[in-house]
Amino acid sequence: MWNQGGHSESMGGGYTQSPGGFASPALSQGGEKKGRTRATQIIPCTVSQMMCASQADEAFKVGDVEVSQVTILGIIRSTDKSMTNIQYKVDDMTSAPMDVKQWVDTEDPGVDSTVLPPGTYVKVSGNLRSFQNHRSIVAFSVRPVEDMNEITSHMLEVVQAHMALGKSQTMTGAGGGMSSGITPMSRPGNLGNTGSMGGSYAGATDMTNNGLSKNQNQVLSLIRGCPDPQGISIQDLKQRLNVMSLAVIKQAVEFLSNEGHIFSTIDEDHYKSTDNDD
Amino acid sequence: MADMVGILDVPKSRVTCDMLSQHIGKPVCFVGRVEKVHPTGKTFTVSDGEGKIATVELVCVLDEELSGVVEVIGMVTNKGAIMASTYNMLREDKGIPFDLELYAEALKVINEFPQYYPFEVAASG
Repeated sequence: MWNQGGHSESMGGGYTQSPGGFASPALSQGGEKKGRTRATQIIPCTVSQMMCASQADEAFKVGDVEVSQVTILGIIRSTDKSMTNIQYKVDDMTSAPMDVKQWVDTEDPGVDSTVLPPGTYVKVSGNLRSFQNHRSIVAFSVRPVEDMNEITSHMLEVVQAHMALGKSQTMTGAGGGMSSGITPMSRPGNLGNTGSMGGSYAGATDMTNNGLSKNQNQVLSLIRGCPDPQGISIQDLKQRLNVMSLAVIKQAVEFLSNEGHIFSTIDEDHYKSTDNDD
Repeated sequence: MADMVGILDVPKSRVTCDMLSQHIGKPVCFVGRVEKVHPTGKTFTVSDGEGKIATVELVCVLDEELSGVVEVIGMVTNKGAIMASTYNMLREDKGIPFDLELYAEALKVINEFPQYYPFEVAASG
């Protein structure tokens, strides 16, 4: 799912095309400023976000996040079928129901031209459009939801996506901050403090200019300061930073490694800094 | 039915029992497990993911046996009950139970980050 977003190497900007499955949003990695690049992500959204998105030319933005292809999840309130398309109004409770248009393949009447009835929960994947100030989604997939827990997961995916993408597009060097140490949901207090769902940020007040937390900076400077060709070992780090637990050190090392600040040498326990200012 | 059309066109905050008192007079969406249906069919109780109970009052009498997880849309009354405009069952027929506790946790998350999960209508069309 989203957890893979922490890696600084490209994960490909595509979306999974399987019509039935979850469209996994892929993070476009830190360096790509949105100047000329058309967004290649598919982003879980709420209807309210679609309605309130700002528009510049063809590009839509929800806050700092550029959106083009989106997924929404809601209940069909009404349907309208014509020869060439099916129109749904999909309600996800965040706003008035959204217009969703799905083109019918007139060549192949057997395919997908059954109208889903009102009261059906669906996951819609498509492109946000605005025509004469009226927002709608042109869908390439309208899939009935069979596992209602998707309602729950979509809500969480929306929050995570907009939080992570918003950060990665406004901060340099820190990636999306979405390391694989995702804070479990049962600690909402933690989420509240940092405004981040990953374990990477120790807290807003601990942030230094380079986007790293205090712990991460401490670990990084120790690694940088080591002159040995094989680098410094995790055990050495633990000895030098005895207030920091091994788990926290390992977390910092993993994050720094994912971000490209350090690399492992003779084994997974030894690290050197990528920028050696000795 | 005019009631129902109106309420469907506005944001309906997703709430648990604890949040009902903050939404009096406002439209909400409440997901819970059906507990007891009153013999008159005009009201029933539901439990949320935290085990608390709310009362749902119906405009029209129930014409079917209600059980399982229901999603109710309605206005919160002064007494903290929900005057339902419409409801639908969340299907569990594919053998996948709906995790109500997880849903309640998710509501905490979306309430903590309203900037990432807004309930609002666009200011302009």
